[in-house]
Amino acid sequence: MRSGLRHVALFLGTLLAVTALVAAWVRGAAVRLDRLVAEQSGERAVAVASAADEGYCTGELKRILRRVLTSCGLVQGGSQRGCQPLQARSVAAMSGADFNALFVPLADRAAIIQFDQDSADLDAQAIELLDRTFADQRGASYFLVVSRASPEGSVAYNRELSRRRAESVLQHLEERFHDPDLEREVGLLWLGEEFAQLDREFCQWQRSRPTGPCGGAELNRSAFVAWIDCRL
Amino acid sequence: MLAQAGNHTCLPRREVAPVGSSQRTPLLVVAVAALAGAFFAGVLTFDFVAHLDRQVHAITCSVTPGLSAPDSSGSSGCHAALMSPYSSVARRWTWGGIPISLPALAVFAFLLFRSLDLLLAGAARPAQATAFLLAATLLPLFASIVYFLLSVLRLKTLCTLCTALYVASIACFAAALVAHRRAAAGGSLRPVAWGWHIVQFCEGVLFVAIPVLVYLLVKPAYPEQVAHCGGLLHPEDRYQVRLPLARQGGGVPTIEVLDPLCPACRALSLRLGASGLAQQLDREVVLFPLDATCNWMVSESLHPGSCTVSEAILAAGPQAETVLTWALDHQPELRTLGARSEKELSARIVKEFPQLAGALGSPAVKSRLNRSLRWVVANSLPVLTPQVFVGGRKVCDEDTDLGLEYVLTRLLHERSLAPSGVGGR
Repeated sequence: MRSGLRHVALFLGTLLAVTALVAAWVRGAAVRLDRLVAEQSGERAVAVASAADEGYCTGELKRILRRVLTSCGLVQGGSQRGCQPLQARSVAAMSGADFNALFVPLADRAAIIQFDQDSADLDAQAIELLDRTFADQRGASYFLVVSRASPEGSVAYNRELSRRRAESVLQHLEERFHDPDLEREVGLLWLGEEFAQLDREFCQWQRSRPTGPCGGAELNRSAFVAWIDCRL
Repeated sequence: MLAQAGNHTCLPRREVAPVGSSQRTPLLVVAVAALAGAFFAGVLTFDFVAHLDRQVHAITCSVTPGLSAPDSSGSSGCHAALMSPYSSVARRWTWGGIPISLPALAVFAFLLFRSLDLLLAGAARPAQATAFLLAATLLPLFASIVYFLLSVLRLKTLCTLCTALYVASIACFAAALVAHRRAAAGGSLRPVAWGWHIVQFCEGVLFVAIPVLVYLLVKPAYPEQVAHCGGLLHPEDRYQVRLPLARQGGGVPTIEVLDPLCPACRALSLRLGASGLAQQLDREVVLFPLDATCNWMVSESLHPGSCTVSEAILAAGPQAETVLTWALDHQPELRTLGARSEKELSARIVKEFPQLAGALGSPAVKSRLNRSLRWVVANSLPVLTPQVFVGGRKVCDEDTDLGLEYVLTRLLHERSLAPSGVGGR
């Protein structure tokens, strides 16, 4: 009789201990869940994926960029694609040197694609650097192509030459990358010889002909390309 | 009749088991091993149950819980085991399922009860009792063998607490075997009624059934939270970055946003495969590596090397699924290589897939990976992986681990009831 009672007591004691533990644990989770649902009401503090907005994107920079990009048809809503020298000068509302200074923070995001004199053809080195620069988009929203020409020849001819250089870059990007966003992220500015010529300080930047001569003429027979990591 | 009854109650002395230390010691070992097994199974159950609140928790990954820091890395063997499809059963029927460690806890508690009862019974117990104890220890032993094989062959990792449980199972069985052999050698076999066996068996069943029943009765219900986590703003594949997995044809369009080196993504893949639900889905993958090398949305690399691995998957063309599966299977190695050197990682990938030589790091592949990230931006998704969209509806992030099968089953059921065209891409 005593052994029977002991058996039952041991049975119930062990079983109750296990069951009570499990019930307490599960109840605890249920209470936490109720509390979380009440507190959060479905919203969670998790970062949401977005385009990059780097530290150099100051309010002033954004203001000028927005004006340039919108006026030159680079931002949705712009009425045309590409900016000519006079337009660029008027919308930027600044001197050529100040205009170039805008790009200084982008030094490691930019490259200078160099051309032969009186040519808008991309050579192998230019293609390699252009592809590498464009592929390194990261979270940037805009790709600026600012093409120029050296002062030889007439102003009108150089304006046209720089336009062809910008178009040449765009055409290559279209053919190589088939990016459906190209239309709204690549902006063209052709400046000819009239505005914001590059000075020798830009020789230190990434160039497609890094070992070649770097005078003003060589530097400005070029398309300056840069990703801009700013949300406008 | 009276004489017969007298014969049963007054057994000859040689038929009663002696209560020497030779019999007590193995029973004591069974009790201690069962207590240890119940403790480890209890810790595993506690960790599993903690996740019923649909949140992420650090888990115990040591045989000395409380003395060692809990594991919050998400990449340990213990985490892999907990999040694997083998950690619970009946997942389609109830959120998270019934943790397999819960019946394990009950079985070890039963073995503890039986061994203590036998120890206290002393001379009064028949040898059949040790035989029953021995039979009962076969259950955790068999389960341990199965789970060990699953760990090694499927999960390719071992969980510390589970290993402790295997050892406890073996110790219980070995000690019970010794106890029974000594009891049998002591000549304590005597006739027992069939009812005795049935009572013993029912006790064992109750030990498992009651805690499981209580678990199911107390656990939270989830209907209102399930499948109300939004959808995709721009599901269209204008960037051509969605990689089709094995198509079933006619299945529900499903998009998985994955990081190939994220442990939770591997666990998701395993769970989907084991659930049998993948056959009802037309699955596509969008790569979202949480590696700062290519992903500007993370300040530091959560899974170093995943950009390079993602490039390999995108460059593989029709073999993308093969590369993805390989990467998921080799995550620890690839993460280590990625943290050490991108070059070594690339070399390892090219060694496995020579056709990818030259493709890794090329502008075309980098640009495509960038488009994959931009697809995530276009849809304003949270910066985390994995994310699953079934028929355009998002499976809540909290339900992509233990609750996946339950929520998927419900979503598929709702979709089958919905008018044609509802919830499609």
